[in-house]
Amino acid sequence: MIIDAAPILAIVLPLFAAFLLPVVSILAKRYKKEHACGLFAVAVCVLILLIVASMLPTVWGGKIIVYRLGNWTPPWGINLAIDSLNLLVALIVSSVCTLVAIYSLIYMRKDSGLEKYYILLVLILASTMGIVLTGDVFNLFVFFEIMSIASYALIAFRRKGDSLEASFKYMIIGSLGTSLILLSIVFAYSVAGSVNIADIGMKLASIKAGSTSTPPIVIVMLGLFITGFGIKIAMVPLHAWAPDVYQAAPSSISALLSGATTIAGVYAMIRVVYMMFGAFGVGAMFAVFGLVTMVLGAFMALVQNDLKRLLAYSGISQMGYILLGIGIGTANGIQGGLFHLLNYAIFEAMLFMCAGAIAYRVGTTKLNELGGLGRSMPVTATIFTVGALAISGVPPFNGFASKWMIYVAGVQAGQPIFTVIAVLMSALTLAYFLKVVSTIFLGPRPKDSPKVEEAPMVMLFPMFLLVVFCVLFGILPQLGIDLVQPAQQAIAANQAYIGTVLG
Amino acid sequence: MELGSGFWGPLIATAAMLLGAAVAGLILVAARRINAPKPSASKLASYGCGEEVKPEEVQIDSEHFYSPIRRAFKPFYRYVQPAHTGVLTHYLVWVLVGLFLIMLAVVIILR
Repeated sequence: MIIDAAPILAIVLPLFAAFLLPVVSILAKRYKKEHACGLFAVAVCVLILLIVASMLPTVWGGKIIVYRLGNWTPPWGINLAIDSLNLLVALIVSSVCTLVAIYSLIYMRKDSGLEKYYILLVLILASTMGIVLTGDVFNLFVFFEIMSIASYALIAFRRKGDSLEASFKYMIIGSLGTSLILLSIVFAYSVAGSVNIADIGMKLASIKAGSTSTPPIVIVMLGLFITGFGIKIAMVPLHAWAPDVYQAAPSSISALLSGATTIAGVYAMIRVVYMMFGAFGVGAMFAVFGLVTMVLGAFMALVQNDLKRLLAYSGISQMGYILLGIGIGTANGIQGGLFHLLNYAIFEAMLFMCAGAIAYRVGTTKLNELGGLGRSMPVTATIFTVGALAISGVPPFNGFASKWMIYVAGVQAGQPIFTVIAVLMSALTLAYFLKVVSTIFLGPRPKDSPKVEEAPMVMLFPMFLLVVFCVLFGILPQLGIDLVQPAQQAIAANQAYIGTVLG
Repeated sequence: MELGSGFWGPLIATAAMLLGAAVAGLILVAARRINAPKPSASKLASYGCGEEVKPEEVQIDSEHFYSPIRRAFKPFYRYVQPAHTGVLTHYLVWVLVGLFLIMLAVVIILR
């Protein structure tokens, strides 16, 4: 019974928990339990992770779970449709949220108003679950807005000048993006007469089959959707907000943005473009934009002197690899892209957590003010170095396995130049991460710098779990491939999704 | 793990890399024992351009760490980097440019 209701519980429970958190906060203050709100948020995240995991056997068994709210038959009413693609993304998002919540227990403890922080964090979990699990494009938009608004507030949480400015910029640009998505949904409704993803997909396919060229309204809809989601995933040239935001937000939120909300954006892009529009031809555009994103991100990262800003540009560059893999469009390419998406969530979240640990102990992430931390923070240094090697695609870590798949897919698709550029950008990634490792962890401590200690255990724990996955998916890449293969097959079996949802 | 015509044995490769690292470590330790660094005053003076600085006073400017690459890709760093101004209106122009490019690409691909 609980398993049957798992899709809706994954959305409703964190939403309910977000409204319950103020009560928890009042009780925590009364009984002087400092970490009660944080622990409550961690418990909620773990519960959602378990609920998502409970759907794995059914979905990996080849079944698509369709949950109909109010028992309305699609395309009427709201339905949740879970295939291997969205379940993979839900698993990544809920895992990252859980680890970020654990990390925040200590990282955020010096801040005030923490109940608001955890409310927003749990709201992000609820909304990303909504984005990922819904079978309805209007609900996807609504949850996208909830996620975005919670993100804006979390970025500005510390109310410093730079964080307020970054949040404001993101709010304006993000609102523009979601407006474009809403406009496209309006067009979709005017064309299909419903907002159900499967129904729109079926009707668009029949429109395309009935005409020799693609109708202009479909082109406009597709362009608006791609731009809207492109802003969220920081695809060049829609990326400008990202470095400001990742630098100014608390590191736990930077980890959450890169490991959860961006992943949800990529999912929405795939679901809408490939599965709703069936526009696999647009993959060529993704590949080209992916290459530009990869190159610009890497060259910009090379000259940064702030660790978090560098990680932001590095994340933009890695998003290029994901777009390239997905854009190549072959089974190997999509699997490589999805595998890199999984790895991206792991190493980006981990590297931002390391940056947070450094900021927590030293008080800065400016590279010129850091140095010699390898001796005082050996665990953080080791984890960061593994993350740096993984993101650079150095074997035997997870980044190598997923990048290798993308390289091979480029060659197999008859585009060796894509592979050459991707390999060169990996070398550049390694170059700027070697600079970071050298500047922060090696050499002597800067003059007059205070003595520092290793990051607290509670902060190290999620970083350690992530580094284990970096090594595990690198040494045993088949584990990662087994995770993403059903998702790639779900993308290819678009008609099965439409057929199952519409009954 | 077989990918196309290639083959990658991650376990074998990892074992080989660990072995290589161990051998390299041994060579390093042995070399340090056999030929320990002996900095003389004249060496320090010439390598430091006559200026003696303490290790904790030496800081590498991270922004100019790869200055040869900056020089090699001068057009990028002259035109693209300064375009990241931090000014919101400029960012909105980027979004509009992006929207135009995406629309153009979709039209070219689908028409």
